[in-house]
Amino acid sequence: MSSQQAVKFLTIEERLNVNAWDTDIYRPHIKIKDPDKCRFCEKKPCTYMCPAKCYVQQGDIVVLSTEACLECGTCRVVCPYENIDWNYPRSGMGVWYRFS
Amino acid sequence: MPMSSKFDVVVVGAGPAGLAAAYKLASAGFKVLVVERGREPGSKQVYGGRIYAYWLDKYLPEFRKDAPADRWVRKERISLMSDESVTTMEFEVVKPEKSSFVASLAAFTSWLGKLATSAGAKIVTEVVVDELLRDERGRFVGVRSGQDKIYADYVIDAEGVNRLLLERAGIVQRLKPEHVAVGAKEVLKFENRKVLEDRLGLSEDEGLAWAFAGWPTEYLPGGAFLYTYRDSVALGVVVYLTSWRRLATPVYDLAERLRTHPYIAKLVAGANLQEYSAHLTPVAGISMAPPRFSYDGLLIVGDTAGFLMHAGVLIRGVDFAVASGVLAAETIKEVGRPDALSRYDDKLRSSFILRDLLAFKNADKVLSGQFAFDDMPKLVNAFLRNYFTVEDRPPTVASALKTTMGEGNWSLAKILINTMYALAYL
Repeated sequence: MSSQQAVKFLTIEERLNVNAWDTDIYRPHIKIKDPDKCRFCEKKPCTYMCPAKCYVQQGDIVVLSTEACLECGTCRVVCPYENIDWNYPRSGMGVWYRFS
Repeated sequence: MPMSSKFDVVVVGAGPAGLAAAYKLASAGFKVLVVERGREPGSKQVYGGRIYAYWLDKYLPEFRKDAPADRWVRKERISLMSDESVTTMEFEVVKPEKSSFVASLAAFTSWLGKLATSAGAKIVTEVVVDELLRDERGRFVGVRSGQDKIYADYVIDAEGVNRLLLERAGIVQRLKPEHVAVGAKEVLKFENRKVLEDRLGLSEDEGLAWAFAGWPTEYLPGGAFLYTYRDSVALGVVVYLTSWRRLATPVYDLAERLRTHPYIAKLVAGANLQEYSAHLTPVAGISMAPPRFSYDGLLIVGDTAGFLMHAGVLIRGVDFAVASGVLAAETIKEVGRPDALSRYDDKLRSSFILRDLLAFKNADKVLSGQFAFDDMPKLVNAFLRNYFTVEDRPPTVASALKTTMGEGNWSLAKILINTMYALAYL
């Protein structure tokens, strides 16, 4: 392994893919309470504070996908409108950290 | 999960705090149930990477025997990074010591879980607790998960930094951005341990703890870290949630941005990403603590209570967590009644936990200011660059300082004031 080799920037999707998951696609553990409120949220801090990029801005709305959520709780705290209904996944589902 | 079972003690959360309490109580003959939401103890946990041994020796000396310590820290580095250069201070003890070690928190917690189980504690996993149960007089008497209720004489809340149960019980308010920081971390696995040791200048089993300030957080409060596991490293970035207005790189790319920085890239080239994790960490210490740590039937331990010391490069959580769990267990053993648990608050006050957290309660004034993360890394790097750059006239310390001052908006008075401020609080 040469230290001269180029280091490739891995996208967040590529990085999340290396984790062990047991995803509960039928019961999302986080919900945006009132999606209309996000339209008026100027900065949408969830879209760049979430370390897993679960929140993506599309037009003036925010689309949430919880499948690769790292369960940190950042979104709940940074949402300026307290518009996030946040829980832990049920029954041991979600991310399974083994090396951190 | 057993329906309507009755235990002496129910512990919410199989982390270092909850398991330390469970271990001590089970060892004393209490019937203890630990309820954990993950698949196994440790599977929802993230930290930077280092555990300090001093207080563990007092509160949980068993760890010396067989806890999974990957590497004992011998080398400490602090780096100030600017856009153009990196200035590093390195400290290494001549003789190896065993005062802090690097281990995966999953492995350490798993070890502690086995210790608690072998003492007789029961751990149920894959169960999320929804509510702390109270009786008509307001005393905490158990926990509820979905339709299931578990009753106990004592409840220990070790749910972690996201204290949903305490919020629902009306004991604390919602977490605020100024209470917490988010850490995003990559575990990078080398081909073998020798490669890691050669790259980082370590002998076999020796560990490195490395803190970075400046560029990794875009000069915002927080920092970055690199810790050495056995054949992998933990590389991560921590930013305060209050920074959200000023951050240009999204948090999900901060750790990768650091890994691919030319200075770091050459150290970790060839190492493969093994895990990408993230977690909140308390940064407000005592300022985010609940009004009390004990209520009728309830004791609050670990991160849930804000027991994490954040003082610049010194970040300590696991020793605080374990010690608070042990003090909670001692309280229950000594008082023998759920309505006399205020002794736990007394024990915390006379222990290092509240002593140290109170001593550093103003650290966030320094750590959330601009000087430590913005001015200082830029200033030090600019000065050394001016000093080491030989061109027309050879630089002197004075001329390099003068040039540096002229380049930025720095005044000597401002630097001195900020240095004094940091010395006063850190």
